Amino acid sequence: MQGTVEIPAKQVATKRPSAELNPPQREIDDQGLLRSGFSVVLQLPTGSGKTWLAEQAIAEVLDQGQRAIYLTPLRALANELLERWSTRFRGHRVGVFTGEFGQSQAYPVPFEQADLLIMTPERLDACTRHWRSHWGWLPRVGLLVVDELHLLGDKGRGPRLEGALLRTRALNPFLRVLGLSATLGNRAELADWLEGVHYHSDWRQVPISWRSERFKRAADKPGILIAEARRCVDEGGQCLVFVQSRRRAEQLSAMLSEAGIPAGHHHAGLESHQRQKLEVEYRSGATRVLVSTGTLEMGLNLPARLVVLYDLQYFDGTDFKPLPVNTVWQRAGRAGRRGLDDRGEVLLIGPAWDREIDRYAEGRFERITSGLADRRALAEQLLAEVSSGLARTRPQLHRRFAQSLAAHQDRLPNIDHVLAEMTESGMVTEVSDDDEKAPRLKATRLGRIAVRQMLAPVTVLSLARAFADEGAPSLKLFDILLACAATEDCEPRIPADFEELEDLGGRLAKQPSSYLARSVGELRQDMGHNGRRLLAILKTALIAREWTRTGCAQTVADEFGCYVFEVRRLAESLERILSAAVAIVTPPKNAEQTTSEETPPAAPLVEGPVLADRVRALAAMVAHGVDEQTVTLTYVSGIGGTLARRLRDAGIEDIEDLAQADSKGVAQVRGVSESRAACWIEEAAQIMTSRSAFSLREFGMSGRSTLSTLDLPVDPYRLRRALDLMVRRQSDAYLVSGGLEPHRVESASVGLRCDCQGFEKGHECKHVLAVRLSQNDAQLRLVVERLSSESSPLDFDLIQLWFDRDKP
Amino acid sequence: MTHSKPPDHINTTRGVIKFPAYFPVTTFGDKYPLDDLVRPYLPRLAPAIMVSLHYARQMKDRPTMPMLIDSGGFASLFDGARVVAQRGFGVLETTHDEKVEVLHPKDVLEFQEQHADLAFTLDFPVPPSMDPEEGKRRVELTIANARWALQNRRRKDLLLYACVQGWDVDSFRACAKAYAGLPFDGLAIGGMVPRVSDFKSVLEIVDAVRAEVPNKPLHVFGLGKPGLVDTLFKRGVQSVDSSSYVKLAADGRLWGQPAVKLGDASPTERLQLALCNLAMATQRALPLSAAHLMFGSRLWESRNQAGLDIATKPGRRTKTATQPLTAPT
Ligand SMILES: Nc1ncnc2c1ncn2[C@@H]1O[C@H](COP(=O)(O)OP(=O)(O)O)[C@@H](O)[C@H]1O
Ligand SMILES: [Mg+2]
Repeated sequence: MQGTVEIPAKQVATKRPSAELNPPQREIDDQGLLRSGFSVVLQLPTGSGKTWLAEQAIAEVLDQGQRAIYLTPLRALANELLERWSTRFRGHRVGVFTGEFGQSQAYPVPFEQADLLIMTPERLDACTRHWRSHWGWLPRVGLLVVDELHLLGDKGRGPRLEGALLRTRALNPFLRVLGLSATLGNRAELADWLEGVHYHSDWRQVPISWRSERFKRAADKPGILIAEARRCVDEGGQCLVFVQSRRRAEQLSAMLSEAGIPAGHHHAGLESHQRQKLEVEYRSGATRVLVSTGTLEMGLNLPARLVVLYDLQYFDGTDFKPLPVNTVWQRAGRAGRRGLDDRGEVLLIGPAWDREIDRYAEGRFERITSGLADRRALAEQLLAEVSSGLARTRPQLHRRFAQSLAAHQDRLPNIDHVLAEMTESGMVTEVSDDDEKAPRLKATRLGRIAVRQMLAPVTVLSLARAFADEGAPSLKLFDILLACAATEDCEPRIPADFEELEDLGGRLAKQPSSYLARSVGELRQDMGHNGRRLLAILKTALIAREWTRTGCAQTVADEFGCYVFEVRRLAESLERILSAAVAIVTPPKNAEQTTSEETPPAAPLVEGPVLADRVRALAAMVAHGVDEQTVTLTYVSGIGGTLARRLRDAGIEDIEDLAQADSKGVAQVRGVSESRAACWIEEAAQIMTSRSAFSLREFGMSGRSTLSTLDLPVDPYRLRRALDLMVRRQSDAYLVSGGLEPHRVESASVGLRCDCQGFEKGHECKHVLAVRLSQNDAQLRLVVERLSSESSPLDFDLIQLWFDRDKP
Repeated sequence: MTHSKPPDHINTTRGVIKFPAYFPVTTFGDKYPLDDLVRPYLPRLAPAIMVSLHYARQMKDRPTMPMLIDSGGFASLFDGARVVAQRGFGVLETTHDEKVEVLHPKDVLEFQEQHADLAFTLDFPVPPSMDPEEGKRRVELTIANARWALQNRRRKDLLLYACVQGWDVDSFRACAKAYAGLPFDGLAIGGMVPRVSDFKSVLEIVDAVRAEVPNKPLHVFGLGKPGLVDTLFKRGVQSVDSSSYVKLAADGRLWGQPAVKLGDASPTERLQLALCNLAMATQRALPLSAAHLMFGSRLWESRNQAGLDIATKPGRRTKTATQPLTAPT
């Protein structure tokens, strides 16, 4: 084995004295398990020092001059570890790489320079897809720690973890994997897959005892909880309660507080500062009871004397199912505080008739099965292999996936079938340029887009189809959002309640949209969904649209009764999907890339520039939380979302305002010098000669709208803005304020004249319109009336959708 | 004749090279992409790398491990190459796309001074079929170049090996004699690759050179087959170099298993094959995930369906089979 048998003195010095090791840690150390040179799967109960052991293994690898990766599924935990390890591994550089997916981002410690890389599985997946750009550091890694190894079995995240492992191990044959988990039903099988060894112990610092309370009616549950929590708190304990939904967490914690028990609630919907505050209060003992959703089941170290499993079932999207044993144990593992409790208690609350409950205490963990057994997940990973150039032929692909956990478990779908679907849908092509050799697999442009943005192939495909549809040129901003929200990568999709259907209907009626102008049947077809899922898509698109209007996640969350966190995540996820959308509508740079082999049957027609412009603008709107007006500022080179928002807040709301502003005024904005402002103004004026600041504005329900710019005597948007201005009469003129700068409007031989630059250039400016409105101009009043009644009810009732029978 | 022995290591500023040593050859540039995949792993399997001047010139990031740069004099064997005497030195003229390139010992040394830890002097191999007169001229120029390099070396920590060429045992011996007593750090025997089919005569040449310089490290260019290497090391050679590990891998082959050929190896499979081959040659620990290439596993079975030609199917992997990960010697 390579230099691993003897431990140099230096390393011994970095170890804590062995007296401090707990029994399993000592045994692992005595056996030299972490130094054996093999991959290792460690299964130890929660809180028994797995992360601590990993830290020792990392220290050794770093001492040998190699690098280490630590994978954790939680971003919050990654940051906690960064803090701890920056001190622990002083002298080595520790980097954290959790940014969502493939977005470009500058990290404080770049990949190349980090000795210890703390990452999410998705990040590592992204790195391996673009392995050439990461070749400077990937080969130097000696150890890959996978915390919460059972994530492999997660339907959503498992396949990306598995794909990342598969590729990292192929790219770095020297890599050792250290997998950690408290709950694995098939530890030996996983170790065998990793060609390593495994270790297991049930030892706990604080032993736990299990019991259950039975109820006859669900209404009895809160009473049981209050009694148990009170007893625990009165005896000086702390209590963790796991429930199935955020709402229930909030309700129960309110109820407990009302009963005089200091309680808080914890779930993924909280802002990180709220969560941190809560964690501090709980650790300090000020909060005695914490009611939480599943978010606490991984990683965070918040132990309690009593852990209550209030709900023993969970909602899997369609149905309520009994909680897996693994999940129950992940949660139960928090029972018993080191040094504070001599015993931890686990309480299961279940219905009297349910016999199954008692089996939880036996701890027969479920087998972790590969998520790649799912064809869609496999399709994504298959495409990643092809696009990254790691598998260039069909046999290569077969051999690669023969190494997967799915294959190891005999659950791998038929690769040829999946590949056939992919070639048929135009994500992959198979080219044979030499009769002797196996035909070469290549990812098409669409395929590469999916890989780059880490999207499911079907997502990219459905967008491409939407944009290739004959109705595509008339898609509005809201329609594009709908198309994105309908894809499987849109996350979260926020469900609609029955009570809010009317409100949603009203909001939808105001959306310029061509999808909504069609019949409900067509809408179901366009979106590929029906029923409540379709309602959730509609609501989610509305939320996203509101985000672009206000740019304030809190406001949007309040308005739609969802969580700030959800709005943020949604914006992030849509940003990624829209990046793919932009790539789809942007014609490839060199024609070479669209040779016949690359043009599959279902290739998107590259439609007119108008749709492409809208998609591009929408991507920027969602990314920065700005509306279609403010986003025009980003047409100017050097102005991104942040500056555009600052300019807007200073009254420069669009590119026309900027073109007409003076550089001194613009330089008032933070971070803008006068010379920079002058350049912008010049460029804005230049752009204005070819594009209007209003080009993206839409109104009316497409197809049914009675209004069009052609039959209006004025530009409706300028008119809307004129309505916001204040007009004051001075002796011989009008003073118009409320915009960036006040302007003077005077009577002229014909009509009115303004001193703004827009007027000079021959526009009827908003200032002049404001004066005409103040003069009660009849023609303008009429237009204003027509504009304000501009919303037409949907042709169908949302309730209809609510009662759709949900078909999968 | 002294009775002292050659050293058991040499020191470079980038690390100690212990003898006997096996130096993997690597290249830079676009010609052999597999080398870029393999190179980052070489420090785990070898004490130093060997690069030919032509490829070293295309290097962008210098590896941190000790690097040996040879002179590229073997190009004198190519069609259209000429060895020209200029003021007593041997200069190599090659023609590429009608353009004549000139390689002067000065160019070689200058580059080596900048990048190498160990340098080989500009030599001109004598193929077995060459006219003896021309052979003699080439050996004389090889010696002149070596002496010039020794006198003009500026970097103290640049190790310099003089290249030994010849056309028969006596001429090799004579060439080595010309270096005896000069303060070279070692001698390197060239021109052996075309003679390998007559391995007996290779060994005679090695013996003859060794007898002339008993106390200096001796390197043999280009002979890296595991079987041969053992014999050479036993014969008192300190080091060899070879690119066979990666050439075989590019061809989907494993050293010592002629029955195995992966007809259509993927980039990472070639990487694994190359590392396995090198681990065999250097007798270091095999890379973990390549172990199954050697010991058989489910991979073999899947490969069977997936286009691998194997004569015999190794047995199913057992726990004991994975344990002795060091290559069989
Ligand atoms: N040998 C040890 N000596 C001191 N503290 C330890 C030791 N092992 C674990 N701990 C502490 O116990 C707590 C739980 O350990 P952790 O590694 O997070 O457990 P796990 O990852 O298994 O859930 C941490 O606060 C950790 O610092
Ligand atoms: Mg842990």
